[in-house]
Amino acid sequence: MRERTGNVAAEAREAFAAWISESDDGRVFGEVRIEKDGSGYSIRHIEDEGGENLDVSTDPTDAREISRFTESGEYRPLKSSPNLRRRWELRLSGEAALVSAMNYFYPAGAVHWHLDREGELETTSFRENASRQSGMYERAKHLSDEAAQNAAKACCEDDVCLKKTLWDIDDDTPLEAERGDGEIPCPEPCSVFVSFARRVRSFEKEEIYADSDGLTPSEKEDIAALVDGAASGGVSFAREAEFEEPVNERRMRYRRLTLAPKLRPEGESG
Amino acid sequence: MKALVIVGHGSHLNGDSSLPIYEHAARIRREIGGFDEVVECFWKEEPSMRHVLDTVESDEVFIVPAFISQGYFTEQVIPRELGLDGSLTEKDGKTIHYAGPLGAFEGMPDVILERTADLMRGKEAGGTTALVLLGHGTDLNKNSSGVIYLNAERIRERNIYDLVEVGFLDQEPEISGVVENVEAENVIVIPVFIAEGWHTRETIPEDLGFDGEVTVRDGKAVFYGAPVGTHPSMARLIADRAREAEAASLA
Ligand code: SF4
Repeated sequence: MRERTGNVAAEAREAFAAWISESDDGRVFGEVRIEKDGSGYSIRHIEDEGGENLDVSTDPTDAREISRFTESGEYRPLKSSPNLRRRWELRLSGEAALVSAMNYFYPAGAVHWHLDREGELETTSFRENASRQSGMYERAKHLSDEAAQNAAKACCEDDVCLKKTLWDIDDDTPLEAERGDGEIPCPEPCSVFVSFARRVRSFEKEEIYADSDGLTPSEKEDIAALVDGAASGGVSFAREAEFEEPVNERRMRYRRLTLAPKLRPEGESG
Repeated sequence: MKALVIVGHGSHLNGDSSLPIYEHAARIRREIGGFDEVVECFWKEEPSMRHVLDTVESDEVFIVPAFISQGYFTEQVIPRELGLDGSLTEKDGKTIHYAGPLGAFEGMPDVILERTADLMRGKEAGGTTALVLLGHGTDLNKNSSGVIYLNAERIRERNIYDLVEVGFLDQEPEISGVVENVEAENVIVIPVFIAEGWHTRETIPEDLGFDGEVTVRDGKAVFYGAPVGTHPSMARLIADRAREAEAASLA
């Protein structure tokens, strides 16, 4: 990594605060809207524009509690997932409190936003990141380009993660996934992605056990779990980063890319 | 300016793992002081170790791993992800001190004893009493058990309990055998773990047949405590660990 000069965190704080102050109706960052409020700042969920019946707090560290669980009480392992709960407002006294709260909502988001705007955000490709892995994540190294592309489409697009994906597979292989339109850059595969990539690698490895229709054991397990769930009145989803379980949203998104075409060959759609 | 960065393992599946780290950080900010910034980072949660230093404004940074023993995480993963050269790194205009893990630190026995005192407050325990320190243990890493033995020895020297024993989940001596065979009327089991989790909440009570905090059977009362790492006094231990790293670099 390149040596940095100057105080990046302090510059980011000033730039972020100035960006908020420049705008009359505030700025959207992930799922929150930040507005200038007298000499301080107000942060709310974008869906709570009306501002009625909100739990108001002035403590920036309350952002941590707010961002820990979804509306229905599920733990949020990925803060940029579009499932931030609603009905709260933070009224913060100054720049330091603003950035401290933002670092709980979107960890390192403000500093990455600033570095990106300055053209100084360094990105780390999937291959570079994977080659660093050791222990249980080492397996992600062996993922093929095609599977890595599909893993990113399943794991990183705006439906499941609001960050703008800036990294590529490697220096010569750009990412095919929709990178996203949000303000928060993602400079490097996160640990949720690496864990997902490890699971996708195990899907790839079992391809040699595919049956005569081309279906692999875990694909059949997923179909059976969906049928069982639907037949008993409701498919219940596994936790957000529980990739070992069949009915996990990202795992299903991966199946849509790789299994659905096998079940519904060209010309038989509908 | 000085920053304290606490490194936790974190989890993709539940919030129990990072919660004590956040609580200790909050306590250091609010009550203990000594740092202009106190920041949390994790292996499996955000902010990641890779990016946390970018969020720190201070030029002097103390990194304390919230891990019990020296091993894979403290020796390989943390230095690699944070880009550290050793106990002292100069990087991006910052001086970064890397402190060791918490288990072998001299203040650890006090935290264990505070946890024990909290568990036993208001409970009757007449007769002989044994304290059993429960470690994870693993065949791959000798330090992991070494640090449990070290704390047992340090507590034994204080002559508070009739017996101080150790037991492990993944290696000998195995915890259920230790609890069963220890010759004392009261047995206090304290998990020397950083956070609550699947082991402390489910596998341990289940395998040892605990009914909650107190289980009475075969003429023995077994008291089961919460993990050491969630005790509020860990915050002090973490801050002291950072200060010690500073003193060591000045020496
Ligand atoms: S790697 Fe993907 S899932 Fe993880 S933060 Fe970046 S865009 Fe989101």
